[in-house]
Order: sequence, then structure tokens, then C-alpha cells
Amino acid sequence: MGKLITHLAEKHALFAASFAIRLALVVYGDYQDRTMEVKYTDIDYHVFSDAARLITEGQSPYNRSTYRYTPLLAWMLTPNIYVNMVFGKILFIACDVLSGLLIYKILCLRGLSSETAQRICSLWLFNPLPMGVSSRGNAESILAALVLGTLLCMEAKHLLWAAILYGLSVHMKIYPITYALPIALTLRTPDTTPEKGTKRWRWRSFIDFIGCFLNRELFLFASVAGGVFCMLIAFFYCMHGWEFLHETYLYHLTRRDIRHNFSPYFYMLYLTEGTYPSSHILPYLLSFMPQLILLLVASWAFHSDLSFCCFLHTAIFVSFNKVCTSQYFLWYLSLLPLIVPHLSLSLKQGVGLLLLWFAGQGIWLGPAYFLEFEGYNTFLFIWLAGLLVLIINSFILIQIVAHYKPTHSPQRLKVE
Amino acid sequence: MYFVLLSVLAYLSTCHCLIEDGKVDENHCVRLKELLDSSSVSLEITKKGFHREVVTTVELSLDALSGVRVMLVHRWPRGVYLDPYQLASLSDHSDWQILLDSAIDLEVPAHKTSGFVTYVYPSPLRPTSRLLRVTLPIHGRYHEPTFDEKRFTSVNIEPPDLLCLNVNLCSFLGVEFNNFKPHTVLDAPCSPDNSSTCPWVRVHHQQKQGPVCLQFPVGDGSLVTPVCAGTLLVTMICCVALSKYMWEHRIV
Repeated sequence: MGKLITHLAEKHALFAASFAIRLALVVYGDYQDRTMEVKYTDIDYHVFSDAARLITEGQSPYNRSTYRYTPLLAWMLTPNIYVNMVFGKILFIACDVLSGLLIYKILCLRGLSSETAQRICSLWLFNPLPMGVSSRGNAESILAALVLGTLLCMEAKHLLWAAILYGLSVHMKIYPITYALPIALTLRTPDTTPEKGTKRWRWRSFIDFIGCFLNRELFLFASVAGGVFCMLIAFFYCMHGWEFLHETYLYHLTRRDIRHNFSPYFYMLYLTEGTYPSSHILPYLLSFMPQLILLLVASWAFHSDLSFCCFLHTAIFVSFNKVCTSQYFLWYLSLLPLIVPHLSLSLKQGVGLLLLWFAGQGIWLGPAYFLEFEGYNTFLFIWLAGLLVLIINSFILIQIVAHYKPTHSPQRLKVE
Repeated sequence: MYFVLLSVLAYLSTCHCLIEDGKVDENHCVRLKELLDSSSVSLEITKKGFHREVVTTVELSLDALSGVRVMLVHRWPRGVYLDPYQLASLSDHSDWQILLDSAIDLEVPAHKTSGFVTYVYPSPLRPTSRLLRVTLPIHGRYHEPTFDEKRFTSVNIEPPDLLCLNVNLCSFLGVEFNNFKPHTVLDAPCSPDNSSTCPWVRVHHQQKQGPVCLQFPVGDGSLVTPVCAGTLLVTMICCVALSKYMWEHRIV
């Protein structure tokens, strides 16, 4: 009993400490904003707050230009106006710590001892990157919590809740929509007919394959997740019309931001932008292909381990995307603690890969700084560095895939 | 309609009172003209790269004249933009206010947008002092790739026009405007809230500073083929390698 209490106290101390550090950062941020030229608070936080203010004045949040999120976010942040400007940051850091808790729960469900789970979960709780991002007022932590919540419910077989959270997370940001394929593959009825090789007719095996998707679980998940997503869309469409659809979803799908970013495609899209008005759709389509192929392969190869599959999905989606900024990296970093215990990499190898990851970004930041702040024409170097970042990210993903050892936990089997 | 009529009447009656009270003394107008003649506007651009600062210095040679308000009108080319939200947060801490004539898209490249005009009002609370300095942050837009050797594009920033509004109205009521030549009159918003327009005196300077030329890096259009080929080659190789490893290590 005593041991249990100490154990609980330890766990609570971990979360309380990580919350306290984030809170201290928020307080410090307020101090820096008031006293220094360089502001601590993220520019996006002012965008959210302006949108929330418009909501309180009965206007559309999209009257604030560059507000490209769901109105739900502006609604959630109305206490910024009514209570205090710091409310949103407290919400974001709370979601950040909640993500840590969800990581802990998932790890326990995946068969890790509580102690190991705590240690791994500290990778997120005491990681300076999410700490900085959420205390500066970036909303990514809400999405991290929603995605991790979906994975936890899937792991624990609470399908209804998983579907609700998934619908909500796709509503908040469009990128988790790619998880639909691995989720569908997990939920289909397992193929029980013995393999007869080439003797089976092709059309027959195709029908069997389609047939295994028609089951109660998948139907439940699809209808609930789709229902939540569509209802939210219909609700906000009635309120804000076409502007909502365009700013929240279509803008991100058709985004043509040619300004320099981490994406390997940036220079190609910049040079073909407008120069060839009739054919610039071609490089655009070609840049979709690797993303599509890799997402399909990852879904098929790793759907039985949903957390790992979602990590790969996000990492591939971000690395091969047409626009990639550093906040996108957070999308897969929140899923990384889930797979770390299954990696058979030595500490040295792990640290080496981490350093390589940082080195890639450092190499990119050099020419980007000289372009942006010194006015040198370094477009070519930024492009080459972008390609190098892609090669490094692919290499790291290959190492992760090659060293991943899935373990089927006893808990998991019991639930099944 | 009635509101407009009433405001015009109220305005005219105020003018009338002013004329009555102040007698629109010629002396004042002469001093104002002297002030305009000898004032100067200079423009300086600091910082490098895509994020610059435009520092405008206005020198009013005479000592502060009561009742004279000044304003700076910048005509910006399409190659640069100002961020309205950045300006809003800046004007909280500075002694000027700014009005933009149109909405600004912060993301489009230069060839898909047009120039715009800003009106900078030094705070009316502050007496018009001899030296007025306004610093505005501007940002360069991306430009269409070029095919010539020069890998930079030039954007010319004109010095702003200095506009004066004489509250005593001698410029357009009472005394004939001819007295003010070579300065001209034009209509511009009276105040940053853009609720009405006023006739402002636009100051013509004898030796006006020429435009300041900014250089922004621009993409090399002649590289389009190697860049496309290189990008597609590297992404395809990464795609194939990653797919191969994922397939080999798939969990069955």
C-alpha cells in the first residue's frame, strides 16, 4: 500500500513539476513581452485572441486576416477577452501536460511498467520544444492531445470515444485524416480463410478483401467520426458560410506559399509559379506522388501497430509536404515517445540520429538567415539544404523502421 | 443625410467663429508658408534582407506653430508590404498612428498584387516639434523569378509627401490659396479613424530627395529544369528507399 502511495506521488510530482515549469515560462513570457523588444508570445496567439475578440463582438473570426483555423478555437479562447489574456496559454500548457499523461497511459497499455512509462513520458513532459511552443501560445498541443486521445481509446478498444476524438481532431487540423486508412485496416475483420496462393480466383479474393471492411466496428467508427466531423462542418458553415470552408480547409489544401521553408519542393514551386501558367499543375501533382505512395505503403505495412503507423504517417506527411515549417515537427514529436521503448537502437545511435536531425535543420537555417536578414541570394543553397533535410529525415525514418521491434503486450491480448 | 448636412453646418459655423475670432491674420499665413517652404523630408532605410525599417525624418525649420498638424503620405510599391497587425502593436508604443488605404495580403508575391498608400499621423497630443522621426517596418515580397544575370530585383521607395493641415483654416478659407504656391491642396483623411476627409496642403520641396532603391534576392528562372529534375530525383529516391525498408520490415 505504502509503495503504491509513493508511486502515485511520484507520478503526480512528475506532472505537477512539468506543469509548474510551463507556468513559470508563461509568467516569464508576460514579463518579456512587457519589457523587451523581442516578444516571447507567438504571433499566432495574437491572431487567436483577435479572432476571439471578434467572436465576442458578434463578428466572424475570419475578419482577422491570417486566421486559418476552425472557429471552435476562437470560441474556446473567448475567456481571453472576458477573463484574462493568459487563459489561452494556460489551456495550451494544460493540453501539453495532458498529452504527457495520455502518452503514459498508452505506454502502460502497451505493456510497459509504470516506472519505464514515466521515464519515457518525461521525454515529452520535460522536452524544451513543446514547453516553449505551448507557453508561447501555439495551439498545437490541443491537437497533440486529441490525436493521443484517439490512439489511447483505440488501444483500449473504446471505439466510440476514439471515433469522437478522431472526428474532432480532423476538424481541428486536416492532417490526421491520413490516419483513416490504417484505422480502417485495423478495424477490418481479420482474413481467416487459409491462403491458397494462385489457385484462388482474383476477383474472389478481391471481393473477400472488400468484404472484410464491412463490419460493425468499422461502420460504427466511420459513422461516428464522420458524423462528428460533418456536423461540426455543417454547424460552422451555417454560421460563417464559404469563408469558413475556404480558410480552414481549402486554403491548406491549395496553399501556394512560395516563401522559403523546409520543404524540398519550395524552390521548384517558386520557380514554376506563374512562369508556366498552363503547366505548373504538373510539378504540383508530381510532388503529391511520393507522399501518397509512402502513406499507402506505411498504412499497409504497419497498420497492426497503430501508434507506430500514425507516427510514420505524420513524419512522412511532414517531410514530404510542399510546405514545411518547424512547428510541423511537433506533430510527430508528440508521437515519438510511444515508439521509443520499442526501438532496439543503442543510446549512442539514438543520440547520433537526434544530432543528425538537428544538424539538418542547422544547415538549412544558415542560408535561410542570410536570405531573410542579410539579403544574400541564397535560394539555391536553401534548396540544396532542403533536399539534405529530406535525405536526413528519410535516413532517420529508415533507421527507426529497421530497429522497431513490435511487442504484443499481454494487456492488449486480454482486451482483444 | 441630415446628419451630413448638420455636420457641414456645424463645421462651417466653427470656421466662421474662427475667422471671426482669429481674424485670419495674414501674418499667421505668411509664417505658415515660410514653415512649409523651409521644411524638409528625408528618408533612410536601415537593416538588410527582407525585413527593413524606413526611417522618415521631417524637419520643420520654424519653431512650433500652434494649430498646424502634419501628416506623411507614403506611396508604397507592390514589391513591399507593411503588416497591419505589427503596425497596430507598434503604434501602441509609439507617438504616431497609421491608416492604410487598402487591405494587405501578407503572403502573395509582388506580381500578384498592387501598391498601396499609408497615412502616418504623429500624435495630436504631442506638439508639432522641430524634428519628427517615424520608423516603419516594411517587408519585401517574393518576386517573379528572373532569367537575366542579375539575381536581385530593385524596388524604389519614394520619400513620403509632407501634408499640413492648418486648423486656423487660412489655407482655404479667408485668404486665397494662391499665396501658398508652389504647395498644392489635396483631400486626405483628416484623422487615422478615416471618418472624414480634409483639404491638406501638400508641401513641395525645392530639392526633393530621390527614391531609395532596395535590392531583394530573386529566384533564378534559368535553373528551373535542373531544380525540378533534382527535386523530383531526390524525392523519388527517398520515396523508393523508404518504401523498400518499410515493406521489408512490415509487421504481419
